[in-house]
Amino acid sequence: MRRLRSRLALVLLCAAYTASLFWVFTRSEPVIRTREVTIYFAHWQIERGPPDGINAAIKRYEELNPRVRVVQLQIPGATIYPQWMRSNLAGETGPDLMEWGAWLPGQKDIPARYFTPLTSELAKPNPYNRGTSQEKIPWLDTFHDKLLAPKRDSPDPGQIYAVNITECTLRLFCNVELMKEILGRVVVPRNFDDLRQILAVVKEYSRKTGRPIAGLAGSRDTTRAVAESVLVAPLMGVNQRLDDAGFLYLYNRQMLAAYLAGRWRYSEPAVLAGLQLVRETTMSMKPGFIQLRRDDAMIEFLRGQALFFFYGTWDATSLRRLAPFKIQPMKLIQAMPDDPEVGRFVVGQGGEGIGETALSMYLNKASRHPAEALDFLKFLTSVPGQQLFTDASLWLPAVNGVSIPEEIRNFRDYQEGLSFGQAPYDALGTEVSMNWDRNFYYLTGDNGSAEKFAAAMDAAMPAAMRTDLNAELRATLVLVKPQDPVIVGWAGLPGERARIRREESEASQTMSEGLALQMELQLEAMK
Amino acid sequence: MSGVSAPLPQWRCWFGAGLCCVLLPLARAATPVSDGTTEAWQFMANQLPRDAYARLGRIKGAPTREQALASAVVAVDYQPVTQDRLHDAEAAFAQLAQGDDEVADAAAYMQARLYQVHFQQPDYIRAAALYRALAERHPASHWAQLGLVKLGLLELYTLPEPAAPADRIAAAMALLGRIHEEKLQRDLHLQIAHAGTFYEQPLDLVLAHLKEVDRIGGLVGQVPEDLAIELGELSLRAGHYADARKYFEIYLRDFTPNLRSVTVRRRLEDLAVLEAKAKEGRP
Repeated sequence: MRRLRSRLALVLLCAAYTASLFWVFTRSEPVIRTREVTIYFAHWQIERGPPDGINAAIKRYEELNPRVRVVQLQIPGATIYPQWMRSNLAGETGPDLMEWGAWLPGQKDIPARYFTPLTSELAKPNPYNRGTSQEKIPWLDTFHDKLLAPKRDSPDPGQIYAVNITECTLRLFCNVELMKEILGRVVVPRNFDDLRQILAVVKEYSRKTGRPIAGLAGSRDTTRAVAESVLVAPLMGVNQRLDDAGFLYLYNRQMLAAYLAGRWRYSEPAVLAGLQLVRETTMSMKPGFIQLRRDDAMIEFLRGQALFFFYGTWDATSLRRLAPFKIQPMKLIQAMPDDPEVGRFVVGQGGEGIGETALSMYLNKASRHPAEALDFLKFLTSVPGQQLFTDASLWLPAVNGVSIPEEIRNFRDYQEGLSFGQAPYDALGTEVSMNWDRNFYYLTGDNGSAEKFAAAMDAAMPAAMRTDLNAELRATLVLVKPQDPVIVGWAGLPGERARIRREESEASQTMSEGLALQMELQLEAMK
Repeated sequence: MSGVSAPLPQWRCWFGAGLCCVLLPLARAATPVSDGTTEAWQFMANQLPRDAYARLGRIKGAPTREQALASAVVAVDYQPVTQDRLHDAEAAFAQLAQGDDEVADAAAYMQARLYQVHFQQPDYIRAAALYRALAERHPASHWAQLGLVKLGLLELYTLPEPAAPADRIAAAMALLGRIHEEKLQRDLHLQIAHAGTFYEQPLDLVLAHLKEVDRIGGLVGQVPEDLAIELGELSLRAGHYADARKYFEIYLRDFTPNLRSVTVRRRLEDLAVLEAKAKEGRP
């Protein structure tokens, strides 16, 4: 009996051991999953879509690169991201790859201080494009717009600091069922006057039925988008008048200096006409909209309390997934020379950007793994990486050669037209932008008017424009000084690559210095 | 038996070990010994001054002239940058500039840069004097040549004399003849052109310099696009219609798709009207 027991115990022990072996070799995972390198990728695109798209690309990248782990950090953008970014960069704890935008208030100096230029890498083909239509093409030229925004917003005219992940535009998202209910059919506005009339009908319908239905879903953020679109047409002539350099385009520093030199004012007729258009459109939003944010406007639209939601195509995936009704994206057509109200100020059709790419990702200068971070950026912006991103996010790709899903194909149907400038008149700099919001109540509501708003802006602007031009100057100077050790550093290294990098650094430093000296003179002249 | 090797005779093992002992030190001796300066330059080039500072700090013994230059250069951007530290760097640059080698030229250039951009209170006159002295002493040195470009900027915008815009531009143009490196010539041409539009000088003067920039080429970033447009638009404004057409067409060919393409196409239409008018006006 005793022998039988010991045999049974032995059999059980062997069985348990075999089962353990089977489990260890077939089912279990290491207690701690480790890869040699972890890189962090931070952005504020927490809408529905992009996190899925980025995850899809990460998953494939990690399969291709078993030693690298990529962690996606989704940081809410409106209020948290700028502070989070600044404090982490200052403490050298920032992620390897970070999103940044030129319009973020008070963050103008970030690229110059904390990010690495990618110019020389962009001149080489992206290795992940091997076997695709973009093979052997320099990385820069694979982007749909050849990285217009990173070039334009670079603190250093001779360098490119970022690559873009997607392509965006603004659209008027229409609640199709509500439109049929109010207008009896779907009416696509063909010009700005059509939109005026639709908004008037909605107002009348709401009054008659007593239902709280607004023409446009309202918020501070969406108002800015509306303003930036409708201002373009009447102000094109002003911009052309100020273009001394012949760029056919105005940089913010030029607009700010021109204002300080007394060459344009908010109270001049063309700007007043633009402000009148902003007033007209925002009058179709619900009262108190300026206190609300983008998410509030989206909720208003999703509840069927607004006919249109005007914002970027970056919200299209969220709207599609959340709306219980059919949505049709339409264009907000700008006023034309035949417009009955402002036509006399319009010099031609304003453009929609012809496919400007966005979601700019930057490489942190203090990254512990710059080579791996850059490599992931290359994968994410390669044809295979972008295909994964686009399919999973339903956001447009930034590079050529990617098939675009049917649902978002019409986002690329851009309105061609004249170009405007680096930023619209509400966002020339942090101070200008804050004053725009602070004084906006003068423009809207029953007691508001374009004249009242313009007077308030012109009273505040000399100081605001001066502060913003100073910020432009500081951001340029931040870049000039550290370039000296860089130039001497490249000069101390042998080889052709070092010579080219030295020459590029010298050229871009001299250009930045020239701009800084011009800005200093402009500021001195206006003291 | 095939596939199984016989054990090595004992003498071969000892011989191999002995060979290793002799060859390893020899191989080590053959490897170039890094004095740390190259790594420091690489760190500086990659905008990592703290790493460069740490690398230079590990160097033992009296520093070479190159190491002394590297230490002074890194101090210019090693945070926190203080005025005291900049003055120490200036003293080091001034001492190194007494020599007669490339280190001396780089040091002299950096000394001028301190007065131009790094000190809290710039001294443009002193910076200009240092650039001029360097260019007199070693006119062919790269640092002297680069210094002439920076001197050009001072002439264009900051030096008290000459004060009239046209004279400022003439003073900067006079420096062009002394710059032999083509890329640096290009950089000064571009600055003269931009100063020309800034001071509202005749368009033909601006265009002459922009054309030189275009001829030399090699710029990166946003500048080539801006340059093509500037050349087209300013040529149109100056009445040089053939040039305007050429540069606008170059822009459409080389830089599409682009935000400004439609504006450029519209300017080509305007140009066609102006060309037709000009033809009609001819006898």
